[in-house]
Amino acid sequence: MCDNCGCNLTDANRHALGAEEHHTIEVLENLLQVNDIQAGHNREHFDEYGVFAVNIMSGPGSGKTSLLEATIKALPPGVKVAVIEGDLETENDAERIRRHGVPAIQITTGMACHLDAHMVHGALHELALQGLDILFIENVGNLVCPASFDIGQHRNVILLSVTEGDDKPAKYPVMVHAADLALITKTDLLPYIEEFSVGRARDSFLGIKGQLPIIELSAKNGAGLEQWIAWLLAEVAKRRPAAAA
Amino acid sequence: MHETAIVAGLMRIITQQASKHGAAHVSRVTVKVGRLRAVEPQQLRACFEMFAEGTVADGAELVVEEIGVRGRCRGCATEFDVPRYHFQCPACAGNDIEVIQGQELFIENFEASSSPPPAVDPPLVPK
Repeated sequence: MCDNCGCNLTDANRHALGAEEHHTIEVLENLLQVNDIQAGHNREHFDEYGVFAVNIMSGPGSGKTSLLEATIKALPPGVKVAVIEGDLETENDAERIRRHGVPAIQITTGMACHLDAHMVHGALHELALQGLDILFIENVGNLVCPASFDIGQHRNVILLSVTEGDDKPAKYPVMVHAADLALITKTDLLPYIEEFSVGRARDSFLGIKGQLPIIELSAKNGAGLEQWIAWLLAEVAKRRPAAAA
Repeated sequence: MHETAIVAGLMRIITQQASKHGAAHVSRVTVKVGRLRAVEPQQLRACFEMFAEGTVADGAELVVEEIGVRGRCRGCATEFDVPRYHFQCPACAGNDIEVIQGQELFIENFEASSSPPPAVDPPLVPK
């Protein structure tokens, strides 16, 4: 018996020497396949009813819910909206929306830092899509995780408030890259925050996604809201060819 | 920690595939992760270690192969590696860039054996 030719291998020690039969199994399967299939189903539901679904993403406290409240007031009468709110805990945001007479479903994710397609699908069971024009899905406040999960939306909107710093887009490039529209919010505070440069914030966005449309607005004083409303209505019109004609 | 959701998906695939191929033990798993996925390899491995405990992949090594971002300029069709998420064409300075690589998130393969994992040697009892 020697250590050179393998003649010392027996059934008893084969495992220990790593000489057991290994084989490689090729798989090539998407790790988020289950989520992505559900997201596709969600999108089919939205398309069936001609609803424009928009995923609103940002860090916590950049004004997503305030923007939605201002948007509800600023939309022309006859545009029907509903809101899905995602938070780790509390029903607070959905209650804020309901005060405006708009249906709102709260998803509390517990420990999950993002919404996924199944959570959104669960909320859809409590929501009538018929007759709706826009479904706002306010994602959990987080600039990283929500970007990884398709929830069936048609468009992603990212918010950056002027209190957050104008270099934030460069720090969270993956979410910026996933965005279809960027909103610079709380511009009413600009006179008090000299560190924030709208120009630098724009450059920071455009360095990651050169074609990204950017709107500056204030939900508080209404400045810039009309551009946001126009963007929304253009998206609604794309999904309601019959109504637009 | 969206890594937990991703690892849950990974475990589902491994369990299904291992049982389909009659594998008793999985020793190594290779996944490909594009840099546009915001997935942290170290967190992915830590999560995997936890999720794999007590399963067919208990103790398996998770190999995370990161894939850099590549873009194609819609203006001049130049293909290039995108440095630090700066999406600008090095040839024409255009900024309308299509992502052609970097969004990957999939399991490539795993190594399996049909025999159970090596057991810890029992203490030798002198006869």
